[in-house]
Amino acid sequence: MKRTLSVLVALIMLLTLTPAFAAQEEINIFMWSDYISDDLIANFEDEYGVRVNLSYMSDNADSITKLTAGAGSEYDLIMTCDAYMESLIAGGYLEQLDLSQIPNSENINRAYWSEQNQGYCVPYLMNYIYVVYDTERCPIEITCYNDLIRPEMKGQIGSVDGARNLFPIALIALGYDPNSRDENEIKEAYEWLVKYNENVVAYGSTETNMVSGTISCMFTYDGNTAEAMAQLGENNTLTVAPFTSDPVQLGFDLYVIPKGAQHIDLAYKFLNYICDPEVMAANLVDNPYSCPNDAAVAAASEEYRNGPAFDFDYKTNIFFQEDVGDAITIYDQYYQMLKVG
Amino acid sequence: MNGASTAKKRHNRLPAIAQAGPVSLWMILFVTIPMLFIIFISFMTRGSFGGVEYTPTLTSYETLADVIYLNVILKSLRVALVTTVVCLLLGYPFAYYIARKPADVASRLIMLLMIPLWTNSLMRLNAWMLLFQTNGPVNKALLGLGFVEKPVTFLYTDGLVLLGLITNFLPFAVLPMYSSIEKLQTAMLEASADLGAKPSVTFFRVTLPLTFPGIFSAIILTFIPALGTYTITDMLGGGKVLYIGNIIKNQFGTIRNWPLGAALSVLLLLVTALLIFVYSRFAKIEDMEVL
Amino acid sequence: MMKQISNRKLRRQKRNRFFGALYASIIYALFYIPVLVMIQFSFNDAKRNYSWEGFTTMWYGKLFSFRNHDLWEALAYSLIIAVIATIISVAIGVLGGVGLKKFEFRGKRFINLMLYVPIVVPEIVLAVSMLIIFMTIGIKLGMGTIVIGHCTFCIPYAVVTIKGRISGDNETLQEASMDLGANRLQTFWRVTIPSIMPGILSAAFLSFTLSIDDVIMSNMLASARQSTLPVLILSVNRTGVTPDINALTTIMVLVMVAGMLLLSAVQRARAKKEAREIAEMEKRISTMHSMVE
Repeated sequence: MKRTLSVLVALIMLLTLTPAFAAQEEINIFMWSDYISDDLIANFEDEYGVRVNLSYMSDNADSITKLTAGAGSEYDLIMTCDAYMESLIAGGYLEQLDLSQIPNSENINRAYWSEQNQGYCVPYLMNYIYVVYDTERCPIEITCYNDLIRPEMKGQIGSVDGARNLFPIALIALGYDPNSRDENEIKEAYEWLVKYNENVVAYGSTETNMVSGTISCMFTYDGNTAEAMAQLGENNTLTVAPFTSDPVQLGFDLYVIPKGAQHIDLAYKFLNYICDPEVMAANLVDNPYSCPNDAAVAAASEEYRNGPAFDFDYKTNIFFQEDVGDAITIYDQYYQMLKVG
Repeated sequence: MNGASTAKKRHNRLPAIAQAGPVSLWMILFVTIPMLFIIFISFMTRGSFGGVEYTPTLTSYETLADVIYLNVILKSLRVALVTTVVCLLLGYPFAYYIARKPADVASRLIMLLMIPLWTNSLMRLNAWMLLFQTNGPVNKALLGLGFVEKPVTFLYTDGLVLLGLITNFLPFAVLPMYSSIEKLQTAMLEASADLGAKPSVTFFRVTLPLTFPGIFSAIILTFIPALGTYTITDMLGGGKVLYIGNIIKNQFGTIRNWPLGAALSVLLLLVTALLIFVYSRFAKIEDMEVL
Repeated sequence: MMKQISNRKLRRQKRNRFFGALYASIIYALFYIPVLVMIQFSFNDAKRNYSWEGFTTMWYGKLFSFRNHDLWEALAYSLIIAVIATIISVAIGVLGGVGLKKFEFRGKRFINLMLYVPIVVPEIVLAVSMLIIFMTIGIKLGMGTIVIGHCTFCIPYAVVTIKGRISGDNETLQEASMDLGANRLQTFWRVTIPSIMPGILSAAFLSFTLSIDDVIMSNMLASARQSTLPVLILSVNRTGVTPDINALTTIMVLVMVAGMLLLSAVQRARAKKEAREIAEMEKRISTMHSMVE
């Protein structure tokens, strides 16, 4: 009886002293789902002895709303895109970054990371928004944005949504600056989009519709294209539209540290970790999206670099979505007119 | 005896506080205060970087004067009206069928109805898409049986959107109507028949009026939420039409015009209040109890 | 002549019953077809459910693997929140509905108006304003704030449902009960509540449905540590739902159906036991009677 008691006491003392019961440091990250490999997270947790809490956003608006409402301090890292950086910085929602704490960030190509943004964000992955069509089913060959409004394309197009994705291609097709703030140009772009709208079957779910044969042409992200091509496998007859002069949009998903974040030191450690070329190269296996980290791209597999979704030769003919300040309300006005009719 | 108990009621406020107190407190804390905040910011300016600048202005309400918002509201009203009417027409017979069953059978039938609703609604919407897509089972069956030569386009049609709306809102119509119809006493229906009334007469002059509170509850819980709905129309309609719910959502999202979003919400509240006011002019006093 | 009439009536009743059952079956089919499609696609041999690619059971294996605790945690979180929110909403909503009907007080009209606000105003508006208020006061986001958010729109639904049930009721039952000696609490618990039980059940089912499906409040008022299941599914939906979520939903459906069958079996067993006891008692009474005679 005495022996069992002492064994029991010893066991309890042993259990209470094991690290399993020690309080772990946590880092809270808010980002897109299916956008970072489980292995990366697990390895980070092991290496630094912290717990990573991932929450997912379903829309860019999620992180914007949370930041504007002042709930940013709930998270240590939030993912947003470059188009909103100017107003987020000016609005004072973000912590300034000390890049000396993120030495691996040297690997990121400065062409994709502006001087101003360097103070406040670290790019993670980037995505092209381009036109893809099925060579067998699409009625015509698409070589520029204006081909999309041709009458043969009626009922053939699936498109991403969002005023700041749609208006730029209309502005480019009309020969204007894709980030124009001129109301007259935006109005003309609206009229272009009215014709585009007639050819569009649905906004959103582009890859599903392409795979199921509902559409034959999509204006979508490279990531969704890669998924569609992977799903079609051997029956893949999709090709990236061979544009000759029109630029395509290149958008970036960036990590920012919101003002008032609780674990800034851990955030820095995480940012440094994902900028490591080997770590990012391994991440790209599960998430084969375009990456601004040149060293990681070099370290990645041939299979990644030759992914069919990246099989196009105008990768440098790009434009960025810039913050248009107060003109966003003009865009919104015409976008509403487009959709309400 | 009666006089004594009413006198007691008048002095003893405890039952009133105990019953109506919690709900009043909750509404004041978690609805009135947030709504005051919303009304407040509807009179403020949109900050240059998307926040709220605390400078009073009527800009948001002036923007609302644009005819496009009238169009959007009319569109949303139409969708809500069609959804409600179909849900009432389909739901009343169903609620009647269940309500006339013995209690244990009825509760089992209701549970059977609830089970699909407790699976995720997004998954069910996806399922409708998968079912009706161009190379989906429905088209495959139609082609295989030779009814059509090319796949039929079901996706992104008004019919599919209506189907999605109905499957979403029907339970909110059925449940209140069921709980009201269940109250009907068979004796009353029998009395009506004994007095010589045909079944249709009994229905229109006894059943329907007696269950009207349930119908009215069903209308409230279907029409009003349907006014502000947008997820179903976005997904099944291909995002080609914007409704008032979309517009309000966008203002709090990437457009970051919170004052306008707030003003739109206030407008929506006023429209609903107007509808209820108009209705109350034509309704009988008993029906007002549900309001 | 009388026999002819009753025969016609009988035939009409039978016909009505048949069409009633047929109609109900069609409505049930409307709700269960997507469920069946969902179950089918849990066996889809593809990374994402864009279309049917073949049969496999691997997703069930993945679901129960050690790695995939995200989904289960989200499900548990959502269920707990839904149960708590339903209990609170039904308690406050039913009490409130009864009280608002019976009593008059200053500000009653105001409260009635407030009850409409969560039903009318799009959820994002309330969610954002509640978020700001919570942040300003300094309330920590998490399960508590999500439950508060859910209750805020569930309570009006419960109140409207209950009002639909008790409309036109008078106080005679309650007064009789109190005349017979019961106090208010006993009357409420043992007379009022059972008489409005279908309304309470409807309110409970509606609240649970609203809570377990909610995305917007659950997104805005959540802590960084845990998401609810619908929020998780919505975020995955952007690139395409993976079939392991279908597998999870299938298991949920099976558990619910099993639970319902179990419940009805227990009910039936209890009813049988009661009937048997009554029969036995009747037999004993009749034997006692025959003994007396």
